[in-house]
Amino acid sequence: MMEITPMLLGAMVLQASAIPAKSGIAIGVGLAAIGAGMAERSIGAAAIGAIAEDDDMLVYGILLTVIPETLVIFALALNFV
Amino acid sequence: MSATVDTANYGYVTARVRSRRASLFDESDYRKLVRMGPGEIARFMEETEYETEMNALGARYGGVDLIEYALNRNLAKHFDDLLRFADGELYDYIARYLRKFDAWNIKTVIRGVYTDSDQQEITDDLIRAGEFSDQLLDRLVESTSIEMVVERLSNTIFGPALEDAYPDYEETGVLVPLENAVDRAFYSDMLGEFPEEPSEGTRLYIRFLRAEIDFRNVRNALRLARSGADIDPGAYYIPDGRLFDESELRQLTANIGQLTEYLRQGPYASDLDDALSELEAADSLIEFERALQQALLEYADTLTNRYPLSICPVIAYIRAKEREVDNIRAIARGKEAGLTDEEIEEELVIV
Repeated sequence: MMEITPMLLGAMVLQASAIPAKSGIAIGVGLAAIGAGMAERSIGAAAIGAIAEDDDMLVYGILLTVIPETLVIFALALNFV
Repeated sequence: MSATVDTANYGYVTARVRSRRASLFDESDYRKLVRMGPGEIARFMEETEYETEMNALGARYGGVDLIEYALNRNLAKHFDDLLRFADGELYDYIARYLRKFDAWNIKTVIRGVYTDSDQQEITDDLIRAGEFSDQLLDRLVESTSIEMVVERLSNTIFGPALEDAYPDYEETGVLVPLENAVDRAFYSDMLGEFPEEPSEGTRLYIRFLRAEIDFRNVRNALRLARSGADIDPGAYYIPDGRLFDESELRQLTANIGQLTEYLRQGPYASDLDDALSELEAADSLIEFERALQQALLEYADTLTNRYPLSICPVIAYIRAKEREVDNIRAIARGKEAGLTDEEIEEELVIV
């Protein structure tokens, strides 16, 4: 087991500041995209089902399928805050 | 990961099913149909959902037979679609319910072979909606003896039960043991092997199936009590319902008053309240059976709205479609038999 000496602590602080602030946003965008993808999976399947039954559903189907995409947009917006 | 694949499939199937549920005939369509003669009904159907079937069968049949065969074929088409859409768990749940038609087909074939009917006649009466493939059904129809039918079914879920019942049939020469075996195999498969901890929707599906068994038991009990025939109700009892066990049923069929009283205290009291009052007031089984069907349909529709991504919408659709086919058949057959519009309307179950 390694003991936390003052020197090690100093090294950790140095290391932490070596990660740029923007990288948090990058992780956030990635996670948001994964979440949106998971949500779109069933919506897309349901939309295809509805379109197969009735062609008029095409517009609504696409619209509803991409609604979770707003999550990614919110995450991207953080980049400009 | 498999969990998300499943929800995607549920989404796909329920979207299709809900769309089809919405395009079923509604009250105003029925009102029109009741005012028509058989010829007009056929023409009306040609302009709706049933167009393909009516045109395909129009050359071979006519009149009410045409309507009936077109209805059956359309039903089979839609239910086959359901099995085609669904995967995994959902497929299993749908198939359990649709094996009802396999059971129906087996009974049709057995009866046909027993009475030496023409093969074409038997084929006409099949409803190809279940899980059996067309090849299997055709081979069944081609059987020349009941033993052959039983043998050809050995690989299906009905196999073991039929093989057990066959000696009984040979001994007595009546079909009842075989038909009971088919029914029992169907019902025990329907409620067999669910996951240990089912999801909420699945739990409700199980409850729905048990409600259906209960209602069937109630109906059989009432019919037996009404006919006054000396038949053992136990022979028609279907196990696994919530409402009563075999001995209770036997006791209750002796007396209709007792049976209705028992139902009033049971778990379906609130659903069946109206139906029971009607039974007591009008003393009519038709009304009561109609109310039972209505209660089941409404229950299924409630579940659909509460659990959109589950088996519930599919089962609600299946029930509604069956009702539609039954309704149209009742109208057409009623017209043929010369019933009045009011009498036919009494037979319809509309939600």
